[in-house]
Amino acid sequence: MSVISLKGIKKIYQLGDNTVHALRGVSLDIEEGEFVAITGPSGSGKSTMMHILGCLDSPSEGEYLLNGKDVSNLPPQELADIRNRQIGFVFQGFNLLPRTSAVENVELPLLYSRPVMPNGERHNRAVAALTSMGLADRLDHHPSQLSGGQQQRVAIARALVNHPSLILADEPTGNLDSKTSIEVMRLLQELREKQGITIVLITHEPEIAAYGTRIISVRDGVIISDEKNIPRSVDILEDLPPIAAASGY
Amino acid sequence: MSAMVQVVLMAWNALMRNKVQTLLAMLGVMVGVGALVTSMALGKGAQEAIKDQLLAAGANMIIINSGNYQVERAGAGGSPADHASIIKPLSPRLRTAQWLPNPISNHSGIKLYRTHFEDDPMAEHDHPIASERLGDAMAGLGAAATLSLDDARAIREQLDGIEFVASGVHENARVAIAKTPEKQWFTRLHGTESQLPVIRSGWVFPYGRFLTQSQVRSAEQVMVLGKVVADRLFGENVNPVGEVLTLWNQEFTVVGVVASRSWASQPAAGDDQFDAVYIPVTTVHSLLNLSKLNTITVTTASAGETTIIAKQIEDLLRVRHGITEQMPDDFMVRTQSAQLLGKGLAPDVARIVAGNLESIEALTIEQLAASLQRANRTMLALLAGVAAVSLLVGGIGVMNLLLLSVTQRTREVGLRMAMGARSRDIASQFVIEAIVLSVVGGLVGITVGALISESLEQLFAWSTDVSLLSMVIAIVVAALLGTVASVYPAHRAAQLNPIGALNHE
Ligand SMILES: Nc1ncnc2c1ncn2[C@@H]1O[C@H](COP(=O)(O)OP(=O)(O)O)[C@@H](O)[C@H]1O
Ligand SMILES: [Mg+2]
Repeated sequence: MSVISLKGIKKIYQLGDNTVHALRGVSLDIEEGEFVAITGPSGSGKSTMMHILGCLDSPSEGEYLLNGKDVSNLPPQELADIRNRQIGFVFQGFNLLPRTSAVENVELPLLYSRPVMPNGERHNRAVAALTSMGLADRLDHHPSQLSGGQQQRVAIARALVNHPSLILADEPTGNLDSKTSIEVMRLLQELREKQGITIVLITHEPEIAAYGTRIISVRDGVIISDEKNIPRSVDILEDLPPIAAASGY
Repeated sequence: MSAMVQVVLMAWNALMRNKVQTLLAMLGVMVGVGALVTSMALGKGAQEAIKDQLLAAGANMIIINSGNYQVERAGAGGSPADHASIIKPLSPRLRTAQWLPNPISNHSGIKLYRTHFEDDPMAEHDHPIASERLGDAMAGLGAAATLSLDDARAIREQLDGIEFVASGVHENARVAIAKTPEKQWFTRLHGTESQLPVIRSGWVFPYGRFLTQSQVRSAEQVMVLGKVVADRLFGENVNPVGEVLTLWNQEFTVVGVVASRSWASQPAAGDDQFDAVYIPVTTVHSLLNLSKLNTITVTTASAGETTIIAKQIEDLLRVRHGITEQMPDDFMVRTQSAQLLGKGLAPDVARIVAGNLESIEALTIEQLAASLQRANRTMLALLAGVAAVSLLVGGIGVMNLLLLSVTQRTREVGLRMAMGARSRDIASQFVIEAIVLSVVGGLVGITVGALISESLEQLFAWSTDVSLLSMVIAIVVAALLGTVASVYPAHRAAQLNPIGALNHE
């Protein structure tokens, strides 16, 4: 059974007299353990796709099966429950609560667990998630006391804390420098390799898309290519000599 | 429980992320709740003061005056024809009482006599010196002093439902300090018994105590000073207990000072209770060689029985005085309603009450209480209005904070929704934050209100009472205020679209 199965998904926005076709019939299946990178130029419909995949929005047409369950036309409350249990989000802007400790930020999804999770368990799970992201010594730090990479690792810990079957990352490296971007991509790769988590990553940068096991290109609301990829290895990158030294100047 | 604490703590943390805004909104709630608590304290205080007044004046009090000037008074302005219906023929006793002073009216050959001039509350205080009085029955008690200690004993012993009985002789007197006779004061003198303070429940004794039963029994020459007298003779805040005063050329030892407990009847020169001295009735009798009384003051065990017992007293005294059916009483039994106006009540309040009623005689305790209650309600309504406006302003403040907060935290709302929060979770988060804010503001407001009430009492001697109930009410009101103020902002937050909220800048 596919984790994600889209059949003829369309999304139409009505802006006054203007009809915007953000998605014009997208069909695809994503299997468990895949690391799918969706790329395309700005305005091609990547974010719209991500919103639908993330159950933040419903398609205008088509069918979306998440872990075999049709979620295309569920009421908001049920969509909220699905997001809470099955999906972890990583955003470009981290979206951490300011003046709030890393632990409390990571606890956030657990606040909405049903049935209600006891305080102790919530705290323990948040600490465990942060520890797995190498942030055991930053539990009580506020976002402003953390570097960009550390903040994004807190955000990934938050996405993982509910043990979701799917992680959706929208331009997760957009606000990071290249070195930190590589670190974050390496982390996501490890999640897939060690825990078998399915990851859907949205990016407009081909270098970032290269970390995926599959690259899907979107343009004007349709898929124009869908290919398997040999993921770029961080280790190879690191073994390369610095560019300046190699060129001999 | 710990989940609840957690929720409150989280709301508190969220509020503390914007300290200035939160404190401003709290200030609004604080002012509102403070005003509410203060107005409730003033209202309760006024209520208590009125109750004190009615008690001090004695809703259960019956006063028996010797003589009967009501008959005379009823005749003062009416026509002779009216009088025939009102006035019963005089008793032979009265008719033969040739020693009575100046008859004051003469209709159809019937002579009516006023009682001793000092029983007339309208009479001026003149102050004949003591030597003129000593041993002189005429100048002493007046001829119409028809009551006796035996009458008082009979009332005490023969009637049911009686609580206390105090006999009284009333005089004008000059008291002077024995050591320094030029220090003197003309005042009212009350010969009385040890139970008077129980009857006058509004009394306190800043120094010493009232006359004891044994002092009364053995007719000791001891004296309790009204506060005004003590202040005039010895100065304020001086303890005169043990000092020796002269009265009627006799020496009296001061055993106590009496003052008022209530804000509405502060001692003033010329008033009957505190510009007065109290000595045992038996001492008056033995020094002046008398056995008559001017008044007998009775309290009944229950206020509801006052009228019935007053009637029984009248019957008893008529029999004891040998008054036959056709004759008027040679005494006057009154429940204290009319007297209330002169005593124990602030003069302006009394004037308002009396002005609103057709005649003072028709005044009943119930009417008086109702009038006071009405005045009280007007004041309360005013205060409640102030509190309501303050609360409204506070509520608007809270709502403003929340609306601002919803706008500022739109991304947070979107994030929480993405993490699985339902609309309901978002709404309750804002409602809880508002309640926490309001309740904390309310707690501070209660403290502030209590302090203000206390200061009003200290500074202006206003009567206030911050009750536990008023605090509970204040907290509930604060919580309700928070809830109501948060409904609209919470609704707005809950209706946000998760995508739009997440992308909000
Ligand atoms: N809420 C919306 N209302 C109207 N048009 C929208 C809305 N969201 C996206 N669009 C339009 O849909 C198209 C796809 O947008 P989007 O999915 O954000 O693309 P991308 O993320 O690839 O840049 C764009 O033309 C955009 O203007
Ligand atoms: Mg986009």
